[in-house]
Amino acid sequence: MPAKAGIQARSAFEIRLQRMTDQGKSLSVQEKSYSALDLESTPIAKPKPGLAKQALIDFGLRAGSIFTLVLIWWILSLFFPPTLVPKPSDTFAEVATIVSTGNFFSEMGSTLRRVLVGFGLAMIVSIPLGILMGTLRSLESFFEPPVILGLTMPGLIWAVLMIMFFGLNETSAYAAVAITIMPMLAISIWQGTKSIDKDLIDMSKIFHASPWSKVIDVILPQLISHILAAIRYGLGLAWKVVVVVEMFGLSNGVGYQVVRGFNVFSMKAVLAWTIGFLVVMVIIEFGIIGWLERAVTRWRPRVEAWRR
Amino acid sequence: MAYVRVDSAVQYFAREAGDDMLVLGKVSFDAKENGMTCLLGPSGCGKSTLLNVISGLEALDQGRVEIVSDKSDGAHVPRIGYVFQDPRLLNWKRVEGNMTFALKGMRVPESQWEGRIREYLTLVDLIEFRQQYPLYLSGGMRQRVGLARALVIEPEVLLMDEPFSKLDQLTARKLREDTLSICTRLKQTALLVTHDVEEGAFMGDRIIVFSARPARVIEIIDNPLEPSQRDLDDHGFIEFKKKLLKLVLHTAP
Repeated sequence: MPAKAGIQARSAFEIRLQRMTDQGKSLSVQEKSYSALDLESTPIAKPKPGLAKQALIDFGLRAGSIFTLVLIWWILSLFFPPTLVPKPSDTFAEVATIVSTGNFFSEMGSTLRRVLVGFGLAMIVSIPLGILMGTLRSLESFFEPPVILGLTMPGLIWAVLMIMFFGLNETSAYAAVAITIMPMLAISIWQGTKSIDKDLIDMSKIFHASPWSKVIDVILPQLISHILAAIRYGLGLAWKVVVVVEMFGLSNGVGYQVVRGFNVFSMKAVLAWTIGFLVVMVIIEFGIIGWLERAVTRWRPRVEAWRR
Repeated sequence: MAYVRVDSAVQYFAREAGDDMLVLGKVSFDAKENGMTCLLGPSGCGKSTLLNVISGLEALDQGRVEIVSDKSDGAHVPRIGYVFQDPRLLNWKRVEGNMTFALKGMRVPESQWEGRIREYLTLVDLIEFRQQYPLYLSGGMRQRVGLARALVIEPEVLLMDEPFSKLDQLTARKLREDTLSICTRLKQTALLVTHDVEEGAFMGDRIIVFSARPARVIEIIDNPLEPSQRDLDDHGFIEFKKKLLKLVLHTAP
């Protein structure tokens, strides 16, 4: 304890003071030696658990959380027939089967492709639209009603409308995903653009930055965290919509497989496909997007000190 | 090199109520060629507006600003370097990336970039931090990056808007000395806006004293001391500072 150390230091000093006074030395010298002594005995930084240890604890907590979920599931399976709540072990075995036959990857691939194409389309429209809405007041007024309306429109209805319009094909999946996430993406970029630092725009004018350089070097980097947040939220919406489209109108993809499980009333198959799907989503969420986020915010020092 | 002439500049600040406020009231002066001119006046008097007008960010309502350089031939747009009150760096670019941004904007041939970045980062004593991101640097170092970015385009005129006012006293003092010696060595035509009398007396080869808003020129004084003679504790310097202070106090509202 620092306080105790201080007291000890003081008493040690007093002893030395006594000795020094005996030897007839001046007080000013002793004062200096006192402050030096006091500093030495007080640790400069408060001791903290090591970073590696902290990471281990965090990992343990996350693993424990998932383990608890599986445990609850297992307990439930003891009380219900396997047609309603299959055992976790049986379900994981089913996951292993669909993965090992390669079935899972081709179906998941179809679903992923639909999400990515829809997402790409939405970005192409929403990023410029959001930037323009944040920059020009007239465009803001013009596009605000459709964007707000679009935000309140349920993705399920878009899925139905697109299937009715485009028919039972890929296009309706792409379109449904794109149109569902477009408003949300546009809103977040529009708001991000409005919060852009005007001083930096002035700075770029002073140095005669080209319009291209203004967008790439000054505006987009300030939007990137808004865009990433929008991608996170948008992905969540996109998964839901694409699965619905696959359930209704397509003959492959994770959504289709879930419906097939439903048709033969195999709870095990439905859950196995869902779990596989969740794992892939988590990898994309935390792995790819998390990595992307760290990569584009490397310039920002981490602020972790205030957290417990 | 280049000099700046401001001739009967009049500028209004548009207010929502409709009664426009006069900010610059017929301001005329010549900046010192190849030297430092300090625009000294009370806070909020319109000095920064004047700098914005000179830099071309704002257009004058009346009067004109001339930047005459030996290259002036009508087509030539004068190169202006600007050091802001906040450093206004692109925090997502490394120190050297911030320099490149300015070089690219000013259409400096790419073959010169490396040499210039090296030269001016060395001048502000930051060469070993060229790969660093700004937010990992101290406030004083960031302001040095701002200075290097302004100098790297080899401006005909360097404009500085209270660049030391947000730094702690010791850092500001060191940076003032360094900025003055760099500008003196480069024979840089520079305009420095400040409300700090000591800063004005220390930095300015010529000091333009402004009244409170609307800004009018009260007095134009050339510093009797050479840059190398200016010592904050020297009797001659203190006398000059007192003289300036009297003028500024007289103008305060």
